[in-house]
Amino acid sequence: MNTRFTKVIRDLRSDYARNLMLVVATGVGIFGIGSILGGYHVIRREMKDNYMGTVPASATIEIEESISGELVDSVKALPGIQAAERHATLVARMKIDEKWYPLLLFVVDDFKNKQTNKVYFVSGDTAPARGTMLAERTAFTVMHASEGDSLMIKTRNGEPKKVKLTGTVHDPGLAPAWQEEAGYGYVTLSTLHDLGETQGFDQLRILVSENQNSKAHIREKAEAVALWLKGKGYTVHEIQIPSPGKHPHQGQMNTVMEIFVIFSFLILILGSILVATAMATLMVKQIRQIGVMKTLGATSTQLAGMYVLMVIVLCVVALAVAIPLSRITATVFYNQIAVLLNLEIRDRSISWEVPMIQIAAGVGIPLIATLFPVIRGSRVSVRKALDNFGVGRKIKRSWVVAFSSLGIFTDTFRISIRNAFRQRARLTMTLGLLAAGGAMFMTALNVSEAWHKNLNRIYQQRLYDLEVRLTEPVQADRILEAIRNIPGVRLAEGWNSVSTSFVRNQTFDITGTYPDKGHGSFSMTAVPLPTQLINPTIKEGRWLNEQGSNEVVLNQLAREPGISPGDSIVLSLDGKPTRWKVVGFTEDVGSSAMAYVSLHSFSMLSDSLLNVKSIRIGYDDRSKENAVLKSKEVEALLERKGISIDGTVPVWLLHNAVAAHMKVLVNSLIALAILMALVGTLGLTSTMSVNVLERTREIGVMRAIGATPERIRNVVVFEGLIIGIISILIAIMLSLVLSAYMGNLIGNMSFRTPLSLTVSGIALSVWVLIIMGGSYAAAFYPARRAGRLTTREALCYE
Amino acid sequence: MNPNKTLIELHSVSKTFPVASGTFRALKDVTLHITPGQLVAITGKSGSGKSTLLNIMAGIDRPSEGQVLINGIQIEKLSEGALASWRGKNVGVVFQFFQLLPTLTVVENVMLPMDFCNTYPPKERKARALSLLQKVDIREQADKFPSALSGGQQQRVAIARALANDPPIIIADEPTGNLDSHTASSIFELFAGLARSGKTVIVVTHEKDFAAHFENTFSISDGVVVNDVVPA
Repeated sequence: MNTRFTKVIRDLRSDYARNLMLVVATGVGIFGIGSILGGYHVIRREMKDNYMGTVPASATIEIEESISGELVDSVKALPGIQAAERHATLVARMKIDEKWYPLLLFVVDDFKNKQTNKVYFVSGDTAPARGTMLAERTAFTVMHASEGDSLMIKTRNGEPKKVKLTGTVHDPGLAPAWQEEAGYGYVTLSTLHDLGETQGFDQLRILVSENQNSKAHIREKAEAVALWLKGKGYTVHEIQIPSPGKHPHQGQMNTVMEIFVIFSFLILILGSILVATAMATLMVKQIRQIGVMKTLGATSTQLAGMYVLMVIVLCVVALAVAIPLSRITATVFYNQIAVLLNLEIRDRSISWEVPMIQIAAGVGIPLIATLFPVIRGSRVSVRKALDNFGVGRKIKRSWVVAFSSLGIFTDTFRISIRNAFRQRARLTMTLGLLAAGGAMFMTALNVSEAWHKNLNRIYQQRLYDLEVRLTEPVQADRILEAIRNIPGVRLAEGWNSVSTSFVRNQTFDITGTYPDKGHGSFSMTAVPLPTQLINPTIKEGRWLNEQGSNEVVLNQLAREPGISPGDSIVLSLDGKPTRWKVVGFTEDVGSSAMAYVSLHSFSMLSDSLLNVKSIRIGYDDRSKENAVLKSKEVEALLERKGISIDGTVPVWLLHNAVAAHMKVLVNSLIALAILMALVGTLGLTSTMSVNVLERTREIGVMRAIGATPERIRNVVVFEGLIIGIISILIAIMLSLVLSAYMGNLIGNMSFRTPLSLTVSGIALSVWVLIIMGGSYAAAFYPARRAGRLTTREALCYE
Repeated sequence: MNPNKTLIELHSVSKTFPVASGTFRALKDVTLHITPGQLVAITGKSGSGKSTLLNIMAGIDRPSEGQVLINGIQIEKLSEGALASWRGKNVGVVFQFFQLLPTLTVVENVMLPMDFCNTYPPKERKARALSLLQKVDIREQADKFPSALSGGQQQRVAIARALANDPPIIIADEPTGNLDSHTASSIFELFAGLARSGKTVIVVTHEKDFAAHFENTFSISDGVVVNDVVPA
C-alpha cells in the first residue's frame, strides 16, 4: 500500500471518537437528503400515477336539469371531446355514535364503465346494488364501520335510512376521510332516490381529446359544450375546471418537500463545516508533521491530497452507513405521506438519481467546505511549520483588547475574551456553525408556534361553534329564538351561503373546484349585520356595515390581482350576474375563497326574502366536549321543529381538519431542529478542544507562573461560554429572518396567508440552555485536560 | 561526483525577518563553499544564525538577498513545489527531536520520502528501507512504531529516512542535542561513515568533543561567518 495512504488510514484510526463524530455529522445530512429525496421521488411519481390513473375529468359542467343518457351521447359526439358522462355529488349526513357527520355522496351512472374520475376497487362489490353503498377505503375509520356493516344516512330531503356498505374503493383524488372528518360514499341514482332525493344527474363531466394539460384549451372546449347545452335549452350553473393533471394537494406537497430538502441540505452543510473545522484542527495538530513531510520532499499538492483523501474516506464511511439507512426511512416517509394523501404505492423503486445526489452532495459539500483549511494548512512554509509553537503569539491591539481591558472584567475573564478572538477564522467558522444550527432550531419552533397560533385564529375569527346548513330556506326569526333559549347557547344568527364565481366577459361561471367540492371552491356568504359571530381580520378597507348597499368583502383567497377597495365586481348569484362594490379584504384562516355580503343585500338580489339556509350558533363554553353536546341539542330541536338539516360543520372539526393537514410537516421540522442542535454542539466541542490543544505550551507557562488548575479551567470554560453567547445573538437575528420566510411559505400553503412572525420563548430558552450547557461541556473536558497537565508536560508539548 | 568541484555555494547571502521593532538580520552577507564528501560543522551561540544558514542550504527557507547554488542549481529561484521535490531528492534532513511520524512504523517512516518523490518503484521501497535500517543498525525495530524506540534509536531511524532518496547532502540540526554522550558518539560515527561514502554531511552542533570528526567547521556569530576552520 502507498505509504501516504497508510498514514491517512492510520491517522483516521488514531482518533475514533473524533472521526465517529465527523461521520455522524456528515451522515446525518446525507441520510436526511436520501430519506427526503427518496420519499419525494416515489410520492411524486405515485401521486401522478394514482391521480392520472383515475382519468380526472377535464371539466365538470353543472346544470339545472337532469342529464339524460342521450344528452351524454350527444356531448361525446361534439368535436374535441374524448369522453363524457353524467354524475351527481351531494353532501348528506351519516350518524356515528349518535353524532351526525358530513357524508359526501358520489352518484355514479355506470360503475362498470366509468370514463372519468375512476376509482380503484379494493374489495367487495364493484357496482353497488340498489340500497347499498361503496365506501372510500379511508372513510371506514370515520364511519366506525367495516364492509358489510350498515350506516345510518340522511340526505337533504329524506328520512334517515340504513344503507349497507358492500364494497371498498380507493379514490386517490380525495383527501383521506379522517383528514376532512367526513365520509365518502358511492351510490347509484336509484339508491339516492330511495334515500328520499328526487334529483337526477346534474353534473356533466367531460374529457377533452387534445391538450389535456392546457387549462385554456379545456376552458375553450368546456365553454363550447356549455354553450351547446344552453342552445339546447339547458341552464348551465357553473363550469368547474380543476388544475389539469394536478392532484389537489400537489402544490402543498411540493412546498413541503422543498422545505424538507432545503433543511436536509442545510444539515449537510453544517456537518461539512464541522468536518472542515475538524480538518483544520487536525492540521493544526499535525503542523509539525506537515513541516517534516515537506522537508522530506512532499509538495503542497501531495499534502493537500492526503487530507482531502482523509475527508473522502470519512465521507465514504458516512455514505456507506447513511445511504442504506436513508432507503429505509425513505420507505417509512413515503408510506406516511401516502397515508396523508390517500395514495396507493404501486411502484416502490427509488431512482438511481437519489443515491447519486447523495454521493455528489455527501462528498462534494464536505470537500468544498474543507478545501480552504486544507489548502491553507498544506501551503504553510516548511520553516513556519517546523517553528510552530501553537497559536500565534502576536496579539494586535484591537477593539477586543480595548473591550477586555475594561475594569468590569476579572483577569481570568479578560484572558478568555482575548483567547476567544485569537483565531478569527476558526471563530467565524464555529460561530457560523452554531448560529446556523441555532437559527434553524429556533425557526422550526417559531414556525411551529406561529402555526398553532394561526390555527387558533380559526376560533378567534369564528365566534360561532356550529354551522347548521338547512335543506330549505327558513324564516330566521322562527327558529333563532328557540335556539337561543337552549341553555349554554350564547348567540345564534341566520346566514346564507351559495357557490359563486367572478363574472367577467365569459358567458358562464368558471371555478377551479375539484370533484370533492372543497378544494378550489368559492362561496358567497351572506351575514346579518351587525353580526356578533364573526371577528374578521381586515387587511385593507373595512368590514360590511348596515348602511352599505351591495357591498362585498373578499378574503385573501377570493382576492384577485388588481382589485382594490372601491372597485366594482360582478359575482354570480344563483346563475345571475350581480354587481357588488368591494369595501374591504379579510384574511381568513381555514376558509376557502369567500365573498362576504350583507344578508339584506343578498336577499334583495336573490329574492330569498331574508330566509336563511344556514344557522351559526355560539356557545358559552367553546370546548369540543361541550360543542358536541350542545350540537346534539340543537339538532334535536330543529328536528322537533320539522326543519331538515343538510349538514353541520362544527368549528372544532374544521380546526382538527386543518391541523391534520400540516401536523407531519411541523413535527418533522422539530425533528430536523433537534438534528441541527446536535451538529451545532459537536462543532463547538471540536473548536474548544483545538483551542486548548494549540495553547498547551501557553498553559504550561501560566502554570509555571502560578496559575492554579482551577484558574486554567475557568479561562477555557469562560471562552466556550463567550463563543456560545455570541452565537446565540447571531442565531436570534438569523432566526427572525428565517422564521419570516418559512412562516410565509408554510402559512401560504396551509392557510393562504403568511404566519405572523412569532418568537417562541421555549425555543429561545431551550437553545440558550443547549448552547450554554453544550459550551460548558465542550469546554469542560479540554479544560480539565489542560488543568491536569503538569507544568513540565505542558512546556514540553509540541 | 567530482570531489574537487564545489557542491554548495552561498554568495553574499543575507536573511532578514520582520520583528515588532522593524527587521532582524539573521544572516549578513554570508559567502561559503562546500565540496562533496565533506563532514562539515556549523557552530555558534544560540541566535547566531546557524539554523537559518542550515535552513537556507536545505531549501527550507529562502535568502532575502544573495544566491544559493547547490550542485549548480540556484535553488532560491525554484517554485515551492519544485523546491520540495528538489529537497526530497537532494537533501536528507535530520532533526534534533527526530520528527518521526507517530502513526507510521519505522520502516514506513523510511519509505515515505521515496513515496513523495517517487524515486524508487513501489515494490522496491520496502527492501531499500530495510537495507537502510540495517545500515544504521536498527533493522530489527522495523515494524515498531516510533514511540516504542529510545531517543538514539529514533535518531538512527531519522538518519535512515534522510538517506531514503539517496541524496548527496545530509543536513542535521543539532542531531545529538537530545541524546546522551554515548549515543551521540555513535551518531557522529554514522555521519562520519556517510561522509566517507561520499555524502556531504552538514551538522549544526554545540558538541566540541566531536570536533575531530569534522573536516570543515563554520563558526557563526551575529549572522556572520567568523571562522572557517579546516582541521589539520
